[in-house]
Amino acid sequence: MAKIPSGKLPDGAGWQPALPKAERDTVMSATIGPARSRVDGRLKVTGAAKYSVEFEVPECAYGWTVESNIAKGKITAIDAKAAQGAPGVLAVLTHLNTPKFKSAPKKEGGGGGSGIRNEERFPLNDDEVHYAGQYVALVVAKTIEQARHAASLVLVSYAPEEPLLTMEAAEHKAEKPKKNNDEHVQIKKGDVEAALKDASLVKIEQTYITPTETHNPIEMSGTIAVWEGDQKLTLYDATQFVKGVQNILAHAFGLELENVRIICPFVGGAFGCKGAVWMHVLLAAMGAKVAGVPVKMHVTRRNMFVGAGHRTPTRQTLSLAATRDGKLQAIQHVSETLTSTVGQFTESCGARSTGVMYESPAIRVEETVFPVNVSTPTFMRAPGECPGTYALECALDELAIALKIDPVALRLANHADNHPIKNVPFSAKHLKEAYQLGAEKFGWAKRNPEPRSMRDGDLLVGWGMATATYPAHKMSAAAKVQLRANNTATVQCATHDLGTGAYTAFTQISSEQLGLPFENITFELGKSDFPFGPVAGGSNSTGTVGTAIHEVAGLLHKALAELAVKDSKSPLFNLKTDDIAMVAPGRIGLKNDTTKSDAYADILKRAGKDSLEVQSEQKPPEENKKLAFQSWGAHFCEVKIDPLLPRVQVTRVVSVMNCGRIVSAKTARSQIMGGVVMGIGMALTEETSYDPGTGLPVTRNLADYHVPTNADVPEIDVAFVGEPDFAFNPIGARGMGEIGITGIAAAIANAVYHATGKRIRDLPITQDKLI
Amino acid sequence: MNPFTYIKARDASQAVSGIAAKPQTKFLGGGTNLIDLMKMGVETPAQLIDITRLPLTQVEELPGGKGVRIGALARNSDVAEHSLIQQRYPVLSQAFLAGASPQLRNMATVGGNLLQRTRCYYFYDPAFPKCNKRNPGSGCGALEGYNRIHAILGQSDQCIATNPSDMNVALAALDAVVRVQGPKGEREIPIADFHRLPGSTPNIETNLQPDELITAIDLPAIPFAARSHYLKVRDRASYAFAIVSVAAALELGADRKITAARIALGGVAHKPWRAQKAEKELIGKTADEKTFRAAAEAELAAAKGYKHNSFKIELAKRSIVRALSTLTAMAS
Repeated sequence: MAKIPSGKLPDGAGWQPALPKAERDTVMSATIGPARSRVDGRLKVTGAAKYSVEFEVPECAYGWTVESNIAKGKITAIDAKAAQGAPGVLAVLTHLNTPKFKSAPKKEGGGGGSGIRNEERFPLNDDEVHYAGQYVALVVAKTIEQARHAASLVLVSYAPEEPLLTMEAAEHKAEKPKKNNDEHVQIKKGDVEAALKDASLVKIEQTYITPTETHNPIEMSGTIAVWEGDQKLTLYDATQFVKGVQNILAHAFGLELENVRIICPFVGGAFGCKGAVWMHVLLAAMGAKVAGVPVKMHVTRRNMFVGAGHRTPTRQTLSLAATRDGKLQAIQHVSETLTSTVGQFTESCGARSTGVMYESPAIRVEETVFPVNVSTPTFMRAPGECPGTYALECALDELAIALKIDPVALRLANHADNHPIKNVPFSAKHLKEAYQLGAEKFGWAKRNPEPRSMRDGDLLVGWGMATATYPAHKMSAAAKVQLRANNTATVQCATHDLGTGAYTAFTQISSEQLGLPFENITFELGKSDFPFGPVAGGSNSTGTVGTAIHEVAGLLHKALAELAVKDSKSPLFNLKTDDIAMVAPGRIGLKNDTTKSDAYADILKRAGKDSLEVQSEQKPPEENKKLAFQSWGAHFCEVKIDPLLPRVQVTRVVSVMNCGRIVSAKTARSQIMGGVVMGIGMALTEETSYDPGTGLPVTRNLADYHVPTNADVPEIDVAFVGEPDFAFNPIGARGMGEIGITGIAAAIANAVYHATGKRIRDLPITQDKLI
Repeated sequence: MNPFTYIKARDASQAVSGIAAKPQTKFLGGGTNLIDLMKMGVETPAQLIDITRLPLTQVEELPGGKGVRIGALARNSDVAEHSLIQQRYPVLSQAFLAGASPQLRNMATVGGNLLQRTRCYYFYDPAFPKCNKRNPGSGCGALEGYNRIHAILGQSDQCIATNPSDMNVALAALDAVVRVQGPKGEREIPIADFHRLPGSTPNIETNLQPDELITAIDLPAIPFAARSHYLKVRDRASYAFAIVSVAAALELGADRKITAARIALGGVAHKPWRAQKAEKELIGKTADEKTFRAAAEAELAAAKGYKHNSFKIELAKRSIVRALSTLTAMAS
């Protein structure tokens, strides 16, 4: 690794490749799996892939909701007569006539094995209004047009109360939660106050604001509920967690778990909004029960802004103190966020950025949550890490400027070999190489650190960078495999493909672990009938389900060994099964003498079996407390800004990531690109604005809520560094669905400062802020 | 969506007699705005008359060199790509191409575009109780609400909504004339008189009568419009309504003296805003940034901002300067 001097700007000669190219290629071929096209690609581009509400169910009716337009109060009357009499209407459900939901499962920490409810209430069970946009009635009708029209005829009267809509208004209700599930979110290490008072240190203190951002996957949420009698329920549901939906619906309707089936083979993007069970899922099932027909409910784009969660706004104050040569002596990260009055979801910004990223003798993280009368927030790609890295990485940029140190050099000077709080080494951390390779690919050495110094004709040019990070999460899963005598296999797990390429990655892992050709594997997911898969969240799926595939492959090899050792015609006859393992693709044999081996197909044929089926068990993941597991990366970006009409255009991005083994090179690259695109939206365009009077969102469609268009996104150069992290799991993969969005907003904000000399500390950076 | 009846018109007179025969009837063209508003419950027509089969899709030269006529049912994308428009009125072609998405432009008609309704959140979503445009007398939700996209010129305390069309801005700069047919025959409405300022009746947006059908838009011959330009300033690189836009044409004489100017602004008012004060300021002056800035200052002197949109005043000035500078650079 070439040395980058801390305390001064690196010169051009400092930026050498970390390893000679040939050597780097050798290391990376073990790290990066094949670049396969998606196994479901053809189904998707031909429209043959069925998304949840596309399933055709005979006699299916449609549900349409009525929403409150006050943020707090009580429903005093509902006049549903006109709606009930409207053509095609089968039922109008309000709190006055909706049967009570039975119960909710007891909450479990962390992995949420019991299912996730962000909004901890049942719909239409009382007269309380907690937020604007809350569903206060459901119309079920034969056609969607009839349902929509009848819903417009429902007249609701309210006794409004003064809502709490802002941090200021909810000051008296503010709480400092000790934990976010199992995770400590108030952190104290060393003497932060002393360092912040030390006159010999260079200090930065700034506040950074991020707005509400709303989930806008192409596929909106939706559910079809089908009852068979009153004890069996099937849901076609757009979800990240079929087993969670199954458990929550079983409790809500008092059904046996096995009598509730959830089906979701394809998801058109989720990013967290389909992790929890939201009100429309419960309403679809209740509507179908009351109306006595299957009911389809497709959440409208408009209602995605109130009914499926959002990223809560944050206000974060960063205080840094460092020596003149750039060594951090204190980091204080105080974050304030909103949650709803009917949920406890919190966005732990500080714990998930400052709590892991840099070495410092003193660290303090504080988190305050304000409950307000706004719909309930939820996970949105890197919840906590994403806004947290934005604030911290901007503050570091401001510190680098105050110290006159290159931003990369400052980060290298404070690199954490050990977890700064847990004080154990990070496993397979290759962040320094990510900085190195990123800087090299980007041409960072040519950067003039002076703001407004770089130009392209009349345009201001800015270069910025930031660190990306996301923890390696581990949950539990089980898998089932059926091996057939023709050397094909079907592998099943109740996991999910959110559009990420999971089908392809799991097929790849199955091929490697089972020792069968990629083309011979069928991987099935998205059904609650399959063995347990956890929520597809926290970037855990590849590692968690990959581990389950690893385990079930071991069981399969053992089952084959048991057949072989009893078969006198097998070269493995009478040997000990413990000495036998997979020795080559499609063959098991003696571990220490691979000349003795037998083919799967031969073993099955001789045993007279067409197929062999084994299933692994769901068990808690093994914890390794001697190491810390975290993924890392570095973003470098260029912006160009017209000084007269200063809309920020991102013109170049280089993202280098260190996520352990990359199972599927092509879809992995897409994941990082997707994170960067979403981060461009966060930095420059996305904001859910609310009406200060009613508390209703005003930017409530894709014309007014601006996600980046193709024209806003440059070519994104993605590269990977590192090695498989086998200390983490047998697959060596730490997951990479979320890390791409972390840090990128800061890299862009830092580039905007470099271009213009203006530091914008509230997102998005729209041109009105730069005028 | 409210139940409604649907009929098709064969020709213009059948369309006009149809709309007069039944109250709450609307013409259906491309449907890109009307259907959206019907789904939202903002528009609740009892009857739609589909006029898309009417023979009003031609773009043709007017006899005697008097300009160009665009049929009211010509699709936005067809007009944008038409050689007569590209050569003689590039500002109009550019305005079309800056608007919406290719899919929407393929559907939207120019007659419908003239009647495109505001994107004011408080108008577009009936969940908001206050909107004088949707529900006269209910108040204006935007005035004290979230008003980042709202008007800075010509607004009233009854309504601060803006006209969202790009096409209308170019038409205003080009002095277009709207041709309409009603029960009493045909008439012409100059574009300046077509759209209205909100005043105390923001619910009445144009001077088109409810029983009149737009049949064509006439563009007068303006030789110097061959060098014209549409500048759209928005929050992302593509597919967004204008925060501010400028349609402009300049005629330069000897020594870069300005002999004629046409400027209209979008995104700033209830109607496409013809910037006559700025135009007047430019005549006889040298085409340079100082002149442009002075003209912009003159036009925006009367502007008034609100809590979230005051930035538009400076942005509009800068946009005028940029649009005129771009035209001047094209001339040299």
